[in-house]
Amino acid sequence: MKHWTLTAVAAAAVALVAATADAHGPTRQKVTETIEINAPAAKVWAVIGNFQDMSWHPAVVKGEGKGGNDVNATRTLTLQGGAVIPEETLEKYDAAGMNYSYRITKEDVKVLPVTNYTSRIAVTEEGGKAKVEWRGAFYRGFPNNDPPPELSDEAAIKAIKGVYSSGLEALKKKVESGS
Amino acid sequence: MVLVLGLLTVVAGPPAGPAVADEAFVTNQGSDDLTVVDLDRMAPVATIAIGGKPAGIAVSRDGRRAYVTSPDSKTLTVIDAETRAIVKRIALTGGPLGLAVHPSGHPVYVADWYAHRLLVVDPEAGSVTAQVTVGESPSGIAPTPDGSLVLTADRDSNQISIIDAASLTVVAVVPVGTRPFGVTVSADGRRAYTANVGSNDVSVIDLAARREIGRVPVGNTPYAVALAGSRAFVTDQHADTITVFDTASLAPVATLAYGGEYPEGIAATPDGRRILVADWFSNTLSAIDAATLKTLGTAKVGDGPRAFGDFIRRTR
Repeated sequence: MKHWTLTAVAAAAVALVAATADAHGPTRQKVTETIEINAPAAKVWAVIGNFQDMSWHPAVVKGEGKGGNDVNATRTLTLQGGAVIPEETLEKYDAAGMNYSYRITKEDVKVLPVTNYTSRIAVTEEGGKAKVEWRGAFYRGFPNNDPPPELSDEAAIKAIKGVYSSGLEALKKKVESGS
Repeated sequence: MVLVLGLLTVVAGPPAGPAVADEAFVTNQGSDDLTVVDLDRMAPVATIAIGGKPAGIAVSRDGRRAYVTSPDSKTLTVIDAETRAIVKRIALTGGPLGLAVHPSGHPVYVADWYAHRLLVVDPEAGSVTAQVTVGESPSGIAPTPDGSLVLTADRDSNQISIIDAASLTVVAVVPVGTRPFGVTVSADGRRAYTANVGSNDVSVIDLAARREIGRVPVGNTPYAVALAGSRAFVTDQHADTITVFDTASLAPVATLAYGGEYPEGIAATPDGRRILVADWFSNTLSAIDAATLKTLGTAKVGDGPRAFGDFIRRTR
């Protein structure tokens, strides 16, 4: 039984790598994480505003991409431990507004248990301090009814919250320490 | 402005006389409930607990019943739209998502997102009376105004199925753009429009000829189409915009950065003067003037409003 389940999950995962627009779970999830950083917003944007440079996130060890910060630019992220997010694509980029939006265009639910994932990161200034908001919209990793626990709605939300909160905390530390 | 009016009305009590505002029945998938919005005041007036991650909505033409699908719990909830009471919950199987009510009020059609079939439900008996096999991942459903045909947008087959409502047989399959999600039939019953999530366009279908006669480019990841006068309004989920085009010439009219985020369900008021949009990320319902294209106001709803279907309740 366990073997069968794992095989089914692996098959589903393989099928999903290149199939972002195919059937997905019934309930889209949203996650919003924010952090206040004691620095001007422009200083924070200078760190995160390059779509091709995710080195500020502690989970990312390598980023490769093309197209710079133009709409439809792509990036591939290699994470700690060697897992890879195959392709993220820039959908909107607003340097003056200090925000950009992107989506995962080639997904691997074994790495990040989500499908149809879109995200936006934005910096605003409030009272001389920067506020960073990182948010995402996505479906769980399993496209059909009765998902296995590792590809459930709860697993998807937990994973994305983890990515955002760890990234924002590291960003705050990096900017406030001046490094 | 809207807030002030709302407060004044509350202080003054409900308006006297028989005139009752049309309402929006907005399914909130995240908060597991439904918000009823008074469309004259753009104010929430009731919250109905649903459960099972409600998504699809259909209000009967006479305004007496509202039907809601919950794909997680696989149920169809029947609501007395006037008293807001839940009449019954009908257990289904598969992944009930899109739905529609026959113009006569009976039966209710429910698309099974997983099993590629249309369920025909008797809402009084609370039972499935028939099934029709359609394409893969049927999403939106729309009957023609005369009730003779029912259309399903078969998302993963890139087609619509046209079903004869009397015989419950598929009489035609029409190829459209990539991943059609919402489908809307014009008031004269001559045309259908599908929002094609995958190809960022809208297919225009001639229902007599049973073929696609036009393709209109819209914004990123369109969800559904509303019709008012000679205009079509399309929710562009990832672009946070509403694309407006002319239904006669199929020429673009405007792209509205209307203020909401992640627009999904969209519908016109019965008088065709306003367009209502469920803003999935911002948890609001926005009203847009169909003529001037200005945003008139917003109402706060629950978390993750989808309002997928015919969510306007006529009260007059």
